[in-house]
Amino acid sequence: MKEVVIQGLSQAYSNLVHMFAEFLPRLLVMLVIVLVGLLVAYVLKTILRAVLHVTRLDRLSEEAGASRFLRMAALPSMTELLSRSLFWVTWSGFILIGISVLGVAGLQEQISRLFLLLPAIFVAILILFLGLVTANFLSRAALLAAVNAGYPSPKLLSWSIRFVIWALAVSMALEQVGVARQTVIAAFSIVFGAFMFGMALAFGLGGKELAREFLERNLTEKKREKHEEPQPL
Amino acid sequence: MAEESFLADDFLRQLMSVGEVDLLVGIPSYNNASTLAQTLQSVEASLRQNFVRERAVILNVDGGSADETRQLFVQSAERIDAGHKGLTSLRTVHRISCEYDKSPSQGLALHSIVAAADLLRARACVVISPTTTNLTPSWVANLLRPVYRQGLDFVAPLYVRSRFQGLLARDLLYPMCRAIFGQRIRELYSEEWGFSGRLASQCLEKDVWHEEAVRARPEAWMAITAISADLKCGQYFLGPKTASPTGTGPDIVEAIRQTVGNFFWCLETNQANWLSRSNSQPVPTFGPDHELSLDGIPPSQEKIFDLFRSGVSELEPILASILAQDTHAQIEAIALSDRSNFHFAPELWVKTLYEFAASYHHAVLNRDHLVQALVPLYRGRLYSFLLENANSSAEAMETQSEILCQEFERQKPYLIEKWTAKR
Repeated sequence: MKEVVIQGLSQAYSNLVHMFAEFLPRLLVMLVIVLVGLLVAYVLKTILRAVLHVTRLDRLSEEAGASRFLRMAALPSMTELLSRSLFWVTWSGFILIGISVLGVAGLQEQISRLFLLLPAIFVAILILFLGLVTANFLSRAALLAAVNAGYPSPKLLSWSIRFVIWALAVSMALEQVGVARQTVIAAFSIVFGAFMFGMALAFGLGGKELAREFLERNLTEKKREKHEEPQPL
Repeated sequence: MAEESFLADDFLRQLMSVGEVDLLVGIPSYNNASTLAQTLQSVEASLRQNFVRERAVILNVDGGSADETRQLFVQSAERIDAGHKGLTSLRTVHRISCEYDKSPSQGLALHSIVAAADLLRARACVVISPTTTNLTPSWVANLLRPVYRQGLDFVAPLYVRSRFQGLLARDLLYPMCRAIFGQRIRELYSEEWGFSGRLASQCLEKDVWHEEAVRARPEAWMAITAISADLKCGQYFLGPKTASPTGTGPDIVEAIRQTVGNFFWCLETNQANWLSRSNSQPVPTFGPDHELSLDGIPPSQEKIFDLFRSGVSELEPILASILAQDTHAQIEAIALSDRSNFHFAPELWVKTLYEFAASYHHAVLNRDHLVQALVPLYRGRLYSFLLENANSSAEAMETQSEILCQEFERQKPYLIEKWTAKR
């Protein structure tokens, strides 16, 4: 009996030693990969930051009004945000590669799925950023054009444009990362369709008189109105 | 011969067949078939009467007219050759026509003209607009002569103005340019002007022809280039100007985008020159330096004030990012005042413009948007001007204009302070 217990214990001990002997080199490899990843991510971040400084992205972002939103959300500048995003995406990729080297059963598949998702997340962030910049630019252009032309409710027009572009950017970003793809497309179609239908109804039926006046003013009386102001030059 | 590569082969061939010339008359056109013949007659008559011994070329640069402008140019020239009597030029007056693009652009047209002037080694050049319906032979001669005979490098026109016409030039462009660049040229934005071959060559060397500001309104840029290079500038009084009904000019928004956008761009690209300048000097002027006529009906003022008031309210966040807090507060305060007692003071107007210029320099937002945000404020200033000058005499209006110019000069250090400040 005693021999059986000792044999069992020695077997367990040798298994443990064997496991450690197998695991330790993998852990070491993982740590090396994580450290190399940290280095690579840092270098990439520095390069991207320098490139973005040269291309004056911050000025572009300031001009487009995106920086104001970042400040409101207590986020760093656009250059800093993008370079830090690249750092974390790169390093996270290396960490996942490192974890997969450990060979933990069941984790491999999840990691490879997550790994495939990383570039998509980065692209989704980029889509959101471009959406934000485009929405700000176009909504401000519409606001200025409407105010200078003396159209009624210029802010409503401006916010409508902003809302449509944001909705489009968010749905594109969610589709990119694969979150409830069908639902997102359906939701966007419903929201966008309902919005346009509502606008058409409001303008065509609710504001029939206003629509008639608007079209008349723009199609037939534009030239006359233009000369209500003295020739500037 | 700095830049002939962008010129079409056919155009180059025509230029080479002309050889060297003394005078070049450039006529940019776009769908001007109805007025071009009259313009050509005046130009031809001017060259025949005033420059008998000089070698001259008339150059039509067309922006892709859909009507028969180009064909008319060639046909009219043949008719004029066959029909003129009396005093004639001792030399052949050459005529060249080219199409610079499929869309009209003053800048692209001028690019072709200065390239031709450089290739032909023209000593004096003039740009004439076919939309001016009362062009006389003396106009062409008056713009060419100071360049050709008196050695000036840039000659701006001076016109008789109705008291309610050209307020953007009188209230903004002229006084601001005078204060900043130090030269008293009244009509920086005009469709006729003269320039020397030397200035043409200098302009041709600059890599700015692709810039939107130069494409839209190249004439002020050319004047500012001459001022910055310390070339001699002057102005010639031409009399009243009437434009063709088809060419009524841009509306206020487009005019501000083109002219103020162009002017701010010139400030940006010439800052090394104007930051060190102070005061202003008169330029050689032929004839009276201004003339206001009291005709013209005052425009509807109600709408102008409403557009100012709604603009200040709707664009509040945009104006807050452009203007200093104090200036913005003052504008908001006057927007709330009673319209019958409304007054947009010259001090506030100058401060506002200087802050806009500095914000343009620091690119606090998209530059075209920034210039468009000025439109409601200009309307406020315009309303104030119309209210205060409903019954003023020409002399009183000119005195006010001079006071505004001096205010611009007085506040120039404020512009420099704002311009050079770190953001």
